[in-house]
Parts: sequence; structure tokens; C-alpha cells
Amino acid sequence: MIPIADTNFVEATWIMIVKSLVIFGVIFAILPLMTVLERKLIGRFQHRYGPNRVGPFGILQPLADVGKLLGKEAFMPANAIPTLFVLGPLLTVLSGVLALAIIPWGDVQDGVGLYGIDVPIGILYFFAVGSIAFYGVLLGGWSSGSKYSLLGAMRGAAQLISYEVSMGLALLGAVMMAGSLSLVDVVHAQGEVWFIVPQIVGFLIFMLAGFAETNRTPFDMPEADAELVQGFMTEYGGMRFGSFLLVEYMEIIVVSGIAAAMFLGGWMGPGPGFLDPIWMLTKMLGLVLLFIWIRATLPRLRYDQLMSLGWKILLPLATLNVLVTAVLVVLT
Amino acid sequence: MEAVLFFAAAIGALGGAMGVVALRDPFYGVLALVIHLFSLAVLFLLLSAAFLAAAQVVVYAGAVVVLYVFVAAYVGGDRESELEPIRGQRFLAPLLGAALFIELAIAVLGSSLLALGTDGPDVKAGFGDPAEIGYLLLERFLLPFEASSILLLLAAVGAVILAGRRVDLGSGPSGSHSRGVPAGPNPSSAELHDEEAPQPVGGRQPGDTSDEHSAKRSEGVSPA
Repeated sequence: MIPIADTNFVEATWIMIVKSLVIFGVIFAILPLMTVLERKLIGRFQHRYGPNRVGPFGILQPLADVGKLLGKEAFMPANAIPTLFVLGPLLTVLSGVLALAIIPWGDVQDGVGLYGIDVPIGILYFFAVGSIAFYGVLLGGWSSGSKYSLLGAMRGAAQLISYEVSMGLALLGAVMMAGSLSLVDVVHAQGEVWFIVPQIVGFLIFMLAGFAETNRTPFDMPEADAELVQGFMTEYGGMRFGSFLLVEYMEIIVVSGIAAAMFLGGWMGPGPGFLDPIWMLTKMLGLVLLFIWIRATLPRLRYDQLMSLGWKILLPLATLNVLVTAVLVVLT
Repeated sequence: MEAVLFFAAAIGALGGAMGVVALRDPFYGVLALVIHLFSLAVLFLLLSAAFLAAAQVVVYAGAVVVLYVFVAAYVGGDRESELEPIRGQRFLAPLLGAALFIELAIAVLGSSLLALGTDGPDVKAGFGDPAEIGYLLLERFLLPFEASSILLLLAAVGAVILAGRRVDLGSGPSGSHSRGVPAGPNPSSAELHDEEAPQPVGGRQPGDTSDEHSAKRSEGVSPA
């Protein structure tokens, strides 16, 4: 069999299957913990306790949540389009899970690369997969047959494509310094100094765009519960709604993972090799905490502010960053 | 595996392309186009052109078609035009289409019949890599590449200028809501969307307009 796409490293099929199962399992173990962490932390930020009834310190709260969501009726509005209505959450989950594959958890150890895949197109894979997420949001919103959903979906879609451009350009600086699109190579290139130091502008733009991309406050316009009653998810209930929410957290993990790999030295850290995934996870968790912190701190932007920030400030800044980096890379 | 993928992708590509032409509702037509584009990306992957496949998905499925989706979802499909913008269009279109088909068939058959006895081209390691493509675009085909980028830039600037002019025409001194937004019950809602006046697009509420404008704003830039 001809390999479907070039990967930088060839492994047996069973290793690939085990790897994907492990990554999937670990991330899906982290997701519920993230929700409870977020609710606890936001509680503290707002001077209250947060969930503390189910299990010790409320740690079993997500189980109760999932039980409740599963027990709900899978409701569908009468004027919704059934196939597309179901397809929306499915596509969203698909894009989130696919994006997990390129987060590098460690180097090649004992003949096994500690990452899902390492494709030469690297970071482009992330953007290609991200464009599927757009169709999930849009199909979900459009097929719901509700004005709030359509408006939310439109906002979400416009936001996704506007910030994707800045996001790509922000990463381009780090890519040029490493001379490779592959995330593993980018991490290798950060042996001396993490790219957050020379690429601080790129890092900030990437994180800002990442907030917009994951629909988090202060950019959670597509949901905007005060005006759009949860936007494109309005008509969804039960676990379909749950899967939209799940993917939101998964996207936070993915964006944190990419930021950690591109700017924070990825798996690099003191200690023996088997600690690499732990380091990666620690850095990602730090960024996840940043997401939660900002959600508790900042109010939501207005829609036109969001758009002008994306197109008039972030995009020119990112372009400038790319130009300056290109000149410096050529000169040195 | 390879053959299965090829036929699945080929069926997807052909079916999607036919769906674009055959489906009545423009929204479904756009969705069929998306299926077509994704299938093409899979075909590119089978030809070990990973970069091309990613670019196909990011640029076409992720940006260009998104704008089609905006238009289709906003305007909807209930306005089938009966007039012909170009005279004789309905008569000429099938003729020209058939001519193009014959031309393409000759080209495809001509080249593929020649290759029947051979093993196909030699694919070097690193073929279709970003580095390889970058070399081709920026060294070997620099001039055509730059020419096409200038063309795209011109198109983007033109789109921005055209969009700007339409807004200027709209926000005359008579006030924006006098231009017949049919469902505009509340004049103050037009002032809420500060900088630009709402566009008269049939039968919607003024609250929709801010999204529409931002969609337009992005329209000029993202395909380039």
C-alpha cells in the first residue's frame, strides 16, 4: 500500500492505533476535569464556592452533568432539517478530535513518536481540520430553523474565518524561524530559546485569535447568551448540546497545545525523557488556566469591535510580524 | 485501500459536482460543492500532494465557499430569475458546455491513453512537500506567481472599493431607514449599528445587518 500522505516517520499500524486510543483516552479524561476546574475557579473568582455537592470537592460534578444530558430528550424543532441538524454536532466533534492528532507530546522514543501524526504540512493540517468546524457550526445553526441559531451561526462563521487569517500569520513567524511546518521540528528548533521570546507578538496574536476561534469570552459572540440565547446551539438539547460544549473545551486544549508547541518549547523541560508528555501537559494546562482566568475577568466585546479588532489591528500586526521575522531570518 | 479511497473520493467528487448543477436550493448546491472540494482534496492526497490537499481545504472549503454559504443562507433560494442577463444565454450555454466537455475529453484521453502501458510517474521522496512547492512557486515560476498575486490583489482592492461605494450611496442625508427595509419597524435600531447603514435585503429585520456587513467586509480579503 502506498502511504496516503507522507509522514516523517513510519510506524506499524498497531502502534498508530494504540497511540490514537491513548491520546483520545487521556484527552477525554481531561475534558470533564476541565469543566469542573473552570466552574470551581470561576466560582472563586466571583467569590463563591462553585460546585461542591457531588463527590469530594464537587469533583464528580461532570458525571452528574453527563448523566443529566444523556437523560434529556433529543429534541428537534418541527421546522428543522433532520439530517443536517444531526450532522452539525457530528462535524464539530469530528474536527475537534482530528485536530488532537498533531499535538506533539514528545520526541521519538524507543521507535515510537509520542504524537498522533507528524505530517510535513504540519500546522496546515490544523487549519484544514478547523475549516470543518465551521461547517459544523453553520449547519447546526442554519438547519435549526430558528433566527437566533442562524444569527449565532453567521456570527460564529464570520468570526472563525476572520480570525483564522491572523492565527495563521501569527504562527508563520515561528514556522519561519524553525524552517519547517511540522510541529515536531518546530519544537526541536526551540532547543536554545523558546519562541515566545523572539515571537512574543506572534504568541499574543495567536492567543487572542485562539480565544476568538474557540468562541471564548471576550469573543463569545456566537453564543452571547444575553442576546442570542446561546446562538447556534439554541435549539439543541441533551447530548447534542453537550457535544458542542465538549468540543469547545477540546478546542481550548488543541489551541493550548499548539501554542505550547509553537511558542513554549513543547515537551522540552528538565528531567529524563519519559517526563516529556508531562511537561507538555503542564504547559497546556497553564494556558488552559489563562483561558479560564480571562473568561472570569473580561466582559464580552461588541460585534463590530470584535471584527475591527480582527481585521484592523491583529491582521496588520501579524503581517508586520511576519515581514520583520522574514527579514531577520534572512539576515542572520 | 487505495482503490477504495480513490473510488469513494471520485464518486464524491462527481456526485458533488452534479449536485451543484442539479440541486434547486442554492444552500444545498453549496453543500454539494463542499463535498466536491473535500473529495478533490482526498484525490490530491492519493497523488501524494499533501500541501495541495491542505491548501484546497483551507482556501476553498474553508474560505471561498464560506462566503457562498453566507450568501445562500441569507438570501435563500426563492428568487429564480426569469430574465437572461446576457442575450441568448440559455441557448449558448449548453453549446459552449458541450464544446468544453469535448475539448477536455480529448485532452484527458490523449494523455491518459499514452500512459496506459507505463508504471506512472516516479514520485520522489518529498514530492508535494511545502518546501518543494515553495521552491517551484518562488524560484521556477516566480513571474507567473507574482502576476497572479497582483491579479488577486487588484480583485481584492476592487471588491473593497465596490462595497464601499454601495454603502456611500445608501447612507444619504435622507436617513438610512427610508430606503425601504421592509421589516424595519423601529427607526432607532438602524442607529444602533453605528458606522454603516443597513442594506435593503428583502424582508429581514434590521438586527441582521451588522453580521451581513462584517461578512462583506471579510469578503474582500479572505479569498486573496
